[in-house]
Amino acid sequence: MKHSRVATFALGLVLVFALAGTCLAAQKDKGQVVVYNWSEYIPQDVLDDFTKETGIKVVYSTFESNEAMYAKVKLLRGKSYDLVVPSGYFVDLLRRDKLIQKIDKSRLSNAMHLDPKLMNLEFDPDNTYSIPYMWGVLGLAYNSKYVPKGSLTRWEQLLKPEYKGKLILTDDLRDAFGLALRAKGHSVNSKDPAQIKEGFDFLTRLKNSVRVFDVTAIKQALISEEVWIGPIWNGDYLVAREENENLEYIFPEEGAIPWVDSFTIPVGAENVDNAYAFINYMLRPEIAVRCIKEYKYSSPNLKAVEMLPAEMQNNPILVPGPKELKNAEFITGIGEALDLYEKYWEQVKTAQ
Amino acid sequence: MRASAGGGASLFRAFSIGSTWLWLGAFALLPTLALLLVSLLDRGETDFFIPVLTVKNYQELFSPVFLTVLWDSVRLAILSTLVCLLIGYPFAYRIARASAKWRPWLLLLVIIPFWTNSLIRTYALILIIGAQGMLNKALLGLGLIAAPLEMMYTDFAVFIGLSYTLLPFMVLPLYASIEKLDTRLLDAAKDLGAGSLRSFWHITLPLTLPGIVAGCMLVFLPSLGMFYVPEILGGAKNLLLGTFIKNQFLVANNWPLGAAASSVMTILLVIMAALYRLSSLRVAGRDHKGLLSGGPEELNGRSPRRPSGAGPSMPQAARKAGGL
Repeated sequence: MKHSRVATFALGLVLVFALAGTCLAAQKDKGQVVVYNWSEYIPQDVLDDFTKETGIKVVYSTFESNEAMYAKVKLLRGKSYDLVVPSGYFVDLLRRDKLIQKIDKSRLSNAMHLDPKLMNLEFDPDNTYSIPYMWGVLGLAYNSKYVPKGSLTRWEQLLKPEYKGKLILTDDLRDAFGLALRAKGHSVNSKDPAQIKEGFDFLTRLKNSVRVFDVTAIKQALISEEVWIGPIWNGDYLVAREENENLEYIFPEEGAIPWVDSFTIPVGAENVDNAYAFINYMLRPEIAVRCIKEYKYSSPNLKAVEMLPAEMQNNPILVPGPKELKNAEFITGIGEALDLYEKYWEQVKTAQ
Repeated sequence: MRASAGGGASLFRAFSIGSTWLWLGAFALLPTLALLLVSLLDRGETDFFIPVLTVKNYQELFSPVFLTVLWDSVRLAILSTLVCLLIGYPFAYRIARASAKWRPWLLLLVIIPFWTNSLIRTYALILIIGAQGMLNKALLGLGLIAAPLEMMYTDFAVFIGLSYTLLPFMVLPLYASIEKLDTRLLDAAKDLGAGSLRSFWHITLPLTLPGIVAGCMLVFLPSLGMFYVPEILGGAKNLLLGTFIKNQFLVANNWPLGAAASSVMTILLVIMAALYRLSSLRVAGRDHKGLLSGGPEELNGRSPRRPSGAGPSMPQAARKAGGL
């Protein structure tokens, strides 16, 4: 008797779940959108709200470097993902490899909020293939407890002997060469072997001062005061500043190195409509504001920037102006010259 | 009855052997062969590789850069293996000689850290040895140091990280071989007048050699490939083999060169596995002969001296240790 009651109860429970399941399935019939993005870049509740609003499930996976993203998209021949977020010149690389498709901007009503200054850049003229999501700058952070305020203004000063063993350097070869070339007064995209050699010499000397090479954990090393100085993205700095108030930030005089990360749709995307819906949702000013507040990167969304609290809007680190961006130069594709950079970089890393 | 049981057993046998071969073939042999093949192909403009046979990838590996990378990696792996052996041997010895009641618990304690991902454990070490980590805070609090010790991003941190992560791989095979050790031989050596150092050197060490070699291999090979530990704890100041391979595949988009470097690592592995097999065969062969006939080869003087690294047979060992 007792057993049968338990069985009935269990059966009932199963039915309820099955029913609920089919209801949910019916509601979620909108399918999914598969997003491949940088880690720590879109708040989870923003993704949840998108699903709540549209019924489209977000399948989210992340990468830590453009190179890893590029290799994977190339390996999958542009299939599997509906949305990928490469930085700057990787848009160009993906386009050349015919791995991303043209974007129909008429389907993105919120694209009108975007800053024209961050559109139509060299890596994608007219934004035929990409829509900017966030942008930022590689500048220099230092700890004012050890480095007097105002004493550090240029990339070139990193070579000062008193900073020996107190430096963290980006492990990204284009960024590292970028700042070295800038310190030597050259373009970050130089293809001139003599100039690249100068950058290499700078980095070889700089290596003596470097305690750590890293990309993703630069802020931790600065927060814990393992190192005094390091090149860091402005958003990462602002997050780190909340943990350690001694940290200061400068845009080096020779020119900081800006970047733009953009939404692109791979050629093999299976849910193109959902990808458009997702991009348009992310471009909505209220949504963009939530992303800025969480990760402290600069936004190309002018309307969203206007909606920020005054102290955020007026923070030149969050919203760099022409003064901060003086001499700033975007990293672009350099083709074959990359082999030379790579060769030199290996030599820097293997130098004793 | 018997026939059907036999049929079932042979079916099970066929299934288990078949699935083992299938697994190894699909997930070990095929990928290795594919890697070997790619390492012999040329690099393409738009594709990762093009079907043109060449040995230039291996020639490229003879550059000073790669040789430095290889040497740095091998040196680091050898040193961390030694650190593990020095800590692991007494460690395993204690466990193997502990009372039967305690042994399973001690072994469990060795294995428990395995349940947590080693990457997470590596990050956790930062909390301990960092500039504002627990160790520095404790030392500062006790007044033993005036400024935080710089432990992070040093070779010291790398050895801590590697030996901490890999110690169980050293302890477990050592434990297995020390536990098997026939303690009567030690008693015999003692009876014959050998001191504890002497009986350790002539009995314990040679007879646990297979465990030592197995442990060293299990530590050496992963530490060659574990590039994330030196990257996270050592500050990535040297380019290591694992990072070099990763960079070829991801950054430089030079799959053939990455595959060639990876094949070199595989070949190193095969050589070491062969050495291990050789040494364990020697020990096994010696045990056999030694126990059956008291080691005739030693008695009739055909091979009075064994090559270094291979120890004497068991009874012979006891006699030698006893000074006979």
